[in-house]
Amino acid sequence: MTQKELQAQKLAQEANYEQLRYVTRRHFLRDSVTGLGAMAFGSLLAGCDWLGSKDNGVAANIFDSANPMAGRPPMFPGKAKSVIYLHMAGAPSQLELFDYKPDLQKLDGQQCPQSLLEGKRFAFIRGVPKMLGPYGNFAQRGQSGAWISDHLPHLTTVADELSFLKAVQTDQFNHAPAQLLMHTGSARLGRPSMGAWASYGLGTENSNLPGFVVLTSGGKSPDAGKSVWGSGFLPSVYQGVQCRSEGDPVLFINNPEGIDKDLRRASIDAINEVNKKSYEEFKDPEILSRISQYEMAYKMQMSVPEAMDISDEPAYIHEMYGTQPGKESFANNCLLARKLVEKGVRYVQLFDWGWDSHGTYAGDSIEIAFVNKCRSVDRASTALLLDLKQRGLLDETLVVWGGEFGRTPMQENREGKQQSFKGRDHHAEAFTIWMAGGGIKRGTSFGETDPIGYSPVSGKVTPFDIQATILNQLGFDHEKFTYQFQGRPFRLTDVHGRVINEIVA
Amino acid sequence: MKIKLNKKLLVVTGILIVALVVTTGLIGHKKVDYNTEVKPLFNKKCISCHGGVKKEGGFSVLFRNEALDTTDGGKPAIIPGSPEKSEMIRRLTSSDPEERMPYKHEPLSRQEIDMLKQWIKEGAQWGNHWAYVPVGPVEVPRATSGFRGFLSGNNNWVKNDVDRFIFEKLQEEKLEPSPIADKATLLRRVSLDITGLPASQELADKFLKDENPDAYEKLVDTLLASPQYGERWTAMWLDIARYADSKGYEKDAYRSIWRYRDWLINAFNADKPYDRFLTEQIAGDLLPGATDEEYIATAFNRNTMNNDEGGTDNEEFRTAAIIDRVNTTWETLMSTTFACVQCHSHPYDPFKLEEYYNFMAFFNNTRDEDMPGDYPVLREFNDADRQKFGWLKNWLDANTTKEKATELITHVKNWQPAVYAYHADRFDNCELSEVYLAFRKNSGCRLAAVDLTGKEQLLYYYNSRRENGKWTIHLDSSNGPVIATTVIPPTKGWELQKIDILPSNGVHDLYFSYSNPGVDAAEANNNLINFDWFLFASAFPGKGLPGYDSAYAYYNYLLTTPPSAKTPVMMENPQNMFRRTYIFERGNWMAKTHEVEPDVPHSLNPLPEGAPRNRLGLAMWLTDKKNPLTSRTMVNRIWEQLMGQGIAETLEDLGTQGIAPTHKELLDWLSWQFMNEYKWSMKKLIKAIVMSATYQQDSKVSKETLEKDPFNKYYARGPRVRLSAEQVRDQALAVSGLLSTKMFGRSVMPYQPKGIWQTPYDGAIWNKSDGEDQYRRAIYTYWRRSAPYPSMVSFDGVAREVCLARRIRTNTPLQALTTLNDNAYIEMARYYAERMRKAGGSEPRQQISKGYEMAMYRAIDNEKLDALMKLYDHALKEFEKDRDKACEMNGDDTRETSPEKAALVLVANAMLNLDEVITKN
Repeated sequence: MTQKELQAQKLAQEANYEQLRYVTRRHFLRDSVTGLGAMAFGSLLAGCDWLGSKDNGVAANIFDSANPMAGRPPMFPGKAKSVIYLHMAGAPSQLELFDYKPDLQKLDGQQCPQSLLEGKRFAFIRGVPKMLGPYGNFAQRGQSGAWISDHLPHLTTVADELSFLKAVQTDQFNHAPAQLLMHTGSARLGRPSMGAWASYGLGTENSNLPGFVVLTSGGKSPDAGKSVWGSGFLPSVYQGVQCRSEGDPVLFINNPEGIDKDLRRASIDAINEVNKKSYEEFKDPEILSRISQYEMAYKMQMSVPEAMDISDEPAYIHEMYGTQPGKESFANNCLLARKLVEKGVRYVQLFDWGWDSHGTYAGDSIEIAFVNKCRSVDRASTALLLDLKQRGLLDETLVVWGGEFGRTPMQENREGKQQSFKGRDHHAEAFTIWMAGGGIKRGTSFGETDPIGYSPVSGKVTPFDIQATILNQLGFDHEKFTYQFQGRPFRLTDVHGRVINEIVA
Repeated sequence: MKIKLNKKLLVVTGILIVALVVTTGLIGHKKVDYNTEVKPLFNKKCISCHGGVKKEGGFSVLFRNEALDTTDGGKPAIIPGSPEKSEMIRRLTSSDPEERMPYKHEPLSRQEIDMLKQWIKEGAQWGNHWAYVPVGPVEVPRATSGFRGFLSGNNNWVKNDVDRFIFEKLQEEKLEPSPIADKATLLRRVSLDITGLPASQELADKFLKDENPDAYEKLVDTLLASPQYGERWTAMWLDIARYADSKGYEKDAYRSIWRYRDWLINAFNADKPYDRFLTEQIAGDLLPGATDEEYIATAFNRNTMNNDEGGTDNEEFRTAAIIDRVNTTWETLMSTTFACVQCHSHPYDPFKLEEYYNFMAFFNNTRDEDMPGDYPVLREFNDADRQKFGWLKNWLDANTTKEKATELITHVKNWQPAVYAYHADRFDNCELSEVYLAFRKNSGCRLAAVDLTGKEQLLYYYNSRRENGKWTIHLDSSNGPVIATTVIPPTKGWELQKIDILPSNGVHDLYFSYSNPGVDAAEANNNLINFDWFLFASAFPGKGLPGYDSAYAYYNYLLTTPPSAKTPVMMENPQNMFRRTYIFERGNWMAKTHEVEPDVPHSLNPLPEGAPRNRLGLAMWLTDKKNPLTSRTMVNRIWEQLMGQGIAETLEDLGTQGIAPTHKELLDWLSWQFMNEYKWSMKKLIKAIVMSATYQQDSKVSKETLEKDPFNKYYARGPRVRLSAEQVRDQALAVSGLLSTKMFGRSVMPYQPKGIWQTPYDGAIWNKSDGEDQYRRAIYTYWRRSAPYPSMVSFDGVAREVCLARRIRTNTPLQALTTLNDNAYIEMARYYAERMRKAGGSEPRQQISKGYEMAMYRAIDNEKLDALMKLYDHALKEFEKDRDKACEMNGDDTRETSPEKAALVLVANAMLNLDEVITKN
């Protein structure tokens, strides 16, 4: 370490120390002044007393504006340290992949019974549509005998790692609201996303990287836009940081042209030196926070591009995932997700766009586009599980795979017309999601739908139940993990949700 | 002197001792205060089971009548005057754990129980929370007579009445106020606060040289009178109005509503009194003879989101917008968390479930229905067309009834009152394509319950793909009498058309049929025409009168001519389209229970006498001086903007769960002044605050003061807070000399990195604006809800999907990365460096000093300068070694690039990142 670096480090340490003193005092005072919350003085340093707020029914917000990302322990020791959520935006068909319905095959081409249509609304189906048999060959896989079709040949090899939820039901049949419901607990905009909650609750283990990272593939952002990884009413610092394949991996992370690492270091030193003088003049602790934030920015500049660079991974890893460095792809994002959780990122959210198989043309048909989408995610999502496993990370990493709703057992008939490609409309009643790792049972399945996959017949779960379960694996009681806003405690699951203990190991 | 003082001290001490004895003796007889003693205890220990949400055992302590009512146990739990007979007291003191309250929680303390007993004995009176009591006159403390003021004999600190309140509290807290800040600091502080920008060099020079005692006041007046004032305060209001240039939700398509932003700038600059300012935004359309400007003001409530995604239910999202309007009104204009009441009575504050829907009824009768066309809109015309319009209006005023003239003007200006085509039903081969009513080769449908009284024309907005389609309208059944028939030609996109219909009085169902024999079988299932809306109109009046031909021609021309701006506005339903309002069970819009009328909550001021039960009446109520919340909310907000935090920190909640105000009397006094003395003038209110010594104090803080008051709640020092997202950008543009002073107009697209907008469907792209539009103030930046301008978001800007009463300031590395690395800031640094070089001569030391003065108005101290010079020297060496890098830093492509220049750019970039630069000192 050079003399200069030593100096910079000393300054940052000093700033950190002062800041910590200040923060501690600040919280203590704030709480004793307002009388809200029962956060103990010492708990700030030792972690937060999440349950302390229970007594008087009013929760205190565990938030420190000067160091909002400081690592914090959860309410109880969670089985998962991090989450990788693979969201197939557009909603993949459960009927082609996991929810095997031989009876639906028999009904293929027949008119949909009126009883299934009464009182229902569809996004595009009009009048009386025809039933559509599953497109794909199903078989039972692994010891667990999970039904997986041959659209996902790689995934069949890890069937025994998976835990299926086959009767997920949502109440939204449009993409944006359904994605919002799945990730924020509300179909309307304005609520924090699950990753933001995790980031708020846990901070980050690695101050050189954001706590909540978002990776997108498929050429487009999810329908609900950035709100689906937004921070809602939580401070904006908890929103997902989108890592991009084009341009800077994190917005503004790279130095502008003409400034190299050495010049950036020198300029941050100068800035912090001047700021230190300002601190001597004003004694405002915010200046100390600023000094440490600039130091942290520098560290992020050093570590993010490295974390986001997959080119130095060994060849067998690239082979395993099917990655091509420098390209925007779901495979690259899976590999990145593994690297990020390995480095301490708490929540990695992937969105892969292009699963909306309506069958209006070849580009959104089941027989062409959907099959291609399956191919593009199959190898990588399988590799992600195997790679996590071989590193001993699967036990502490919860992987979730699914869409925002399912697809109808009926062939879509947009504008009442017969379509020349196989396609299914949005279906909120029933769909499949799988989870793996992170303290979830291996090789199991929960929930069943009727013989045509239209509605749940047992083990129905909702997005709230999935959220409750994910929070539970991270060490949070979804009913007690709240944020005080507009005069009341808000929670991710609002007034709903149940931990799906049937799949918890 | 010394002896005298001691004598005085003795006397004072004596008085104090007597007072102490007297008050101690009285404690036993002091009446229990509901607000400060009982209510906080209820909120903390009882209300989560016995409040607005849960009423365990049929007992609630929210309202007095509920608390005294018979419980499930068959008798009341509180019997005023008789604590010993009151079940509540028995349960609080019971030794049976199954009975003892709070159930399964720590028992109340002896003192708490005694206090409740005494309170019941005294009659169990409920009190009103301070914020729900109308603002009354407040006596200004006589700060000079204070003990410490008297002791120090120096009370020159106080400059106006604001300070007397502050000083009194400082005395209580044993804190000393700080001296007035130096002129340079004040100049920058007040200029950023009033205009959002650093002062111009000219204004700065004038002020810094002016030795007169009124120099500061003159500066304040100049700033308040500058056009930039309106822009700065508009920036604040845009969060409240959830203003955006897009409609939100999945499609998040463009919405042309910038005229509203411009209205705000003008309203602030004209110092439109706050009561009028609100009235126009809530109900401008209902003002007699509403002007275009008054209509545009109502766009405040058209900033709600629209969901244009296919298959969504318009009524669902219309309802969502209405609910948003209710919540926004309460949260931002009255600091009340009324949103709670949508699902259940308020758990803590005195608002009942049905009162939510009473209030919603005020908003539930507007013409907007979540239409992609954002109807109703105000169509504004260019100058030439405006002349035609003026002529038409005069002719109508002179030649027909007022009613008729208004109807025709509304056609031209608003295309209203239209029936949106998606309301059609009984489809026979018709369908809804998104919200458009589509007809095929042979198809028909019904439009139910149309009031045809006096109607002789039908205007419709449609597109058609094929020629020779025949469209017919039957009365009352599909083979009923034909009232109109027409052959529909193909169109280029959407067009407005007009046909005559046979007059028929009363309300009728209309049956539309469409046939097109020329279309072959292959196309039989294609949608051939689409309708957006229908407007049933009376005939153009005055046939035969002089000028009729021109007037009618102008009318037809103006109906179809493209407007210069088209802004969504509020507009009330006519009587025959009146919508009923119902209570939603547990807030669910699908579960409607009983009908309610427009009304305001009973715990607040009643509707003023003569106020109509519509939005105008609502605005009258909101701006009535008896409304306890309106004035307090705005005073609290403006205080927060200037002092860094509200007098009550929770701008969104002045209710019993909000954080209590630090200076309640000051809040009330300013609120009273605002209404009565300043006549709702926001400029006067701002001036009163910035002229105070409290505001003008130095912001340096001593260790002791920081220990005692880390958040500056008592104002023993001046405000010191980070600039807002908008100010960070605007200031950097200003000091770099790039800032465009152009005002108003469509939103612009300054530089933004690639790949921020990735939209699933509409292929909208960020087209970098040309010329000076690159460098406009932040409020003119295009605000897309699903992807807001990234550097604004880093500095706590929000998506504006819903209103935001208060931005929470954070301090994050992403902010540092933005101002360090965003190319927009690099470009500013280049221009900033250029200004430094011009002003500072050939010596880099001089250049940097000058640069610092440009931003800070004061000389840089040597140590800071040394640190920056060290950076300069280091950079210079690097850039001399590596000319390519210098070239990149300067953004040149020539080989003759200057390493000195490049080094200065790097320093300029660092300077734009200094804490004191991005902070208001």
